[in-house]
Amino acid sequence: MAIVIEKSQRWRVFAAHAFLIVLCALVIFPLLMIISISLRPGNFATGSLIPETISLEHWRFALGIPSMGPDGQMIKPDLPVLLWLWNSVKVATLSAAVALLLSTSAAYAFARMKFAGKKAALVGLMLMQMFPTILALIAIHSIFSRLGHTFPLVGIDSPWALVLAYSGGISLHIWTIKGYYETIPAEIEEAATVDGATPWQAFWRVLLPMALPILMVIFLLAFIGAVNEYPVASVLLRSQDKLTLAAGMKQFLYAQKYLWGDFAAASILSGLPITFVFILAQRWMISGLTSGANKG
Amino acid sequence: MANLQFKALRKSFGESEILHGIDLEITDGEFIVFVGPSGCGKSTLLRCIAGLEEITSGELFIGGEAMNDVPPSKRGIAMVFQSYALYPHMTVAENMAFGLKLAGTSKVETAAAVLRAAQILQIEPLLDRRPKALSGGQRQRVAIGRAIVRKPGVFLFDEPLSNLDAGLRVQMRVELARLHVDLRTTMVYVTHDQVEAMTLANRIVVINQGRIEQVGTPLELYHHPANRFVAGFIGSPRMNFLPCTLASAAETGATVHLADGTLLTAAVDARGLAEGAALTLGIRPERLLASRTASENTAKSTVIVAEHLGDTVFLYVKSPGSAEQLTVKTRPEDPLAMGDEVHLGFPAHHCLLFGPDDRTLPRIL
Repeated sequence: MAIVIEKSQRWRVFAAHAFLIVLCALVIFPLLMIISISLRPGNFATGSLIPETISLEHWRFALGIPSMGPDGQMIKPDLPVLLWLWNSVKVATLSAAVALLLSTSAAYAFARMKFAGKKAALVGLMLMQMFPTILALIAIHSIFSRLGHTFPLVGIDSPWALVLAYSGGISLHIWTIKGYYETIPAEIEEAATVDGATPWQAFWRVLLPMALPILMVIFLLAFIGAVNEYPVASVLLRSQDKLTLAAGMKQFLYAQKYLWGDFAAASILSGLPITFVFILAQRWMISGLTSGANKG
Repeated sequence: MANLQFKALRKSFGESEILHGIDLEITDGEFIVFVGPSGCGKSTLLRCIAGLEEITSGELFIGGEAMNDVPPSKRGIAMVFQSYALYPHMTVAENMAFGLKLAGTSKVETAAAVLRAAQILQIEPLLDRRPKALSGGQRQRVAIGRAIVRKPGVFLFDEPLSNLDAGLRVQMRVELARLHVDLRTTMVYVTHDQVEAMTLANRIVVINQGRIEQVGTPLELYHHPANRFVAGFIGSPRMNFLPCTLASAAETGATVHLADGTLLTAAVDARGLAEGAALTLGIRPERLLASRTASENTAKSTVIVAEHLGDTVFLYVKSPGSAEQLTVKTRPEDPLAMGDEVHLGFPAHHCLLFGPDDRTLPRIL
């Protein structure tokens, strides 16, 4: 489309571009800074954006590669950053999968079925999610502490407890998926019902394949949320080898010593699984899955 | 193959009742068309047959068995939806095979059934395509194919042609008629288009505001409408209605006053009604005669618009003594034009009279 543009319009286009470039710079700047800090020798948060000398000491530390100490001895990094990353990926993948399973089926009920108290339940879910997690932190701790007495698998200091805690925060996902389901004509499932499908088959074999893009979005959101989450992880996990990266990274920063460089390298690492999952999920985030079902 | 039976079937959504007691029998192999204006409940009735809506009260029998509490998949029906409702993530073949696959039919048998249906509908070259890559008419065929494959006892069609353009609609209409002859299966077809109803149906069920107005063959409904609603709904262009009052009623016919005082006779038995009763006179556009000279049983009027369609001319004329207009279907040889004075002839044996309750008064034949 080549629309003819009036002359007075051109400076506006220029201004819009300038604004967007500044915005992009603002967004990218922190990322560049973190990369710069992670490559800078020593642990300094400030300094020039392009380091004068490049040092890989922080990356060695983050990746757990032994380095030569001042006394000529090989020193193994004392914090298991890669293990934390692995813990994060495990917890995030599992909790995102559980959250997806629960929210797709719950949203189906809310979008398609008629039952008493539907509206109240929907609004209730939304209201409850509005309270910040911090408010419930003590409650969460004591719930899992008590749970742990009976079921040690989901007690304090167990990754399963974290998966369980994360999987509960799905009310926003339910709302999102419900909204998407409602854009899909119910007639397609009715056709499946007439064709002999049970409600479960209509859901699983007809509705879900059409809702794939939103499922991917929800999985990604839940995954990112779990990787980034700090408060609950810091309360539920204790031993060093069980921590997630977000909770463990706190140990780089203590009063006497701020290991900014190591911290920066570790945070870039925590972004990797998210990027990876995003690239994977993107393949299915395509529009027009329902096109062709109707007259079009 | 199955017959259908409705006994005092009612359907309510919450407080509002949509269907007020439907009694109807559909014999095996019949092509029945439910016709009525938008919102009259015809689609709801079809969905009750399909089991997509629960029946509030009354009974539904398919093939002699009570179906009120039987799920859609066990009713031996197949449905074609207005929007086609194809499964967009499956190919045409998979769309058509879905029902059989769920029923656990063997792969060989399924493939044979799909191929047979595809041959009937001439969509074999499309079997590997997704619905996205099909035109509207092709999607419609696939939707019908999906229904045929299951070999149902009853086919249900919910306004299947309303999304097609005019030319394709005529073509599919002919194919549906042919399909019914080939399959000899009971078909229930919902439409608001009375032309589809007239051309396809063995019997038409005219529904208005949740009630059956009349059931009959297309020509029965056309020539002997039970009331004013059916008379106005069946036939295109619609029947002309003129308000009138009864002047006198005799064994041989009734005389009425039009609003402008003109006296007309109709071959209708209006005895039993009081003189001066408010009636409606109905006459079809092709029965109304337009001429330049006055004769017996005519009323004076003026032509508002003359529409020339080549083989016919539609004259829109002022209704004598009222603000409405009448339609006259006439031949192109009649050189009447806009603004011309015209004498409308009402042949007595083609006039219908509707009583104060809008029911058709008996005709004298």
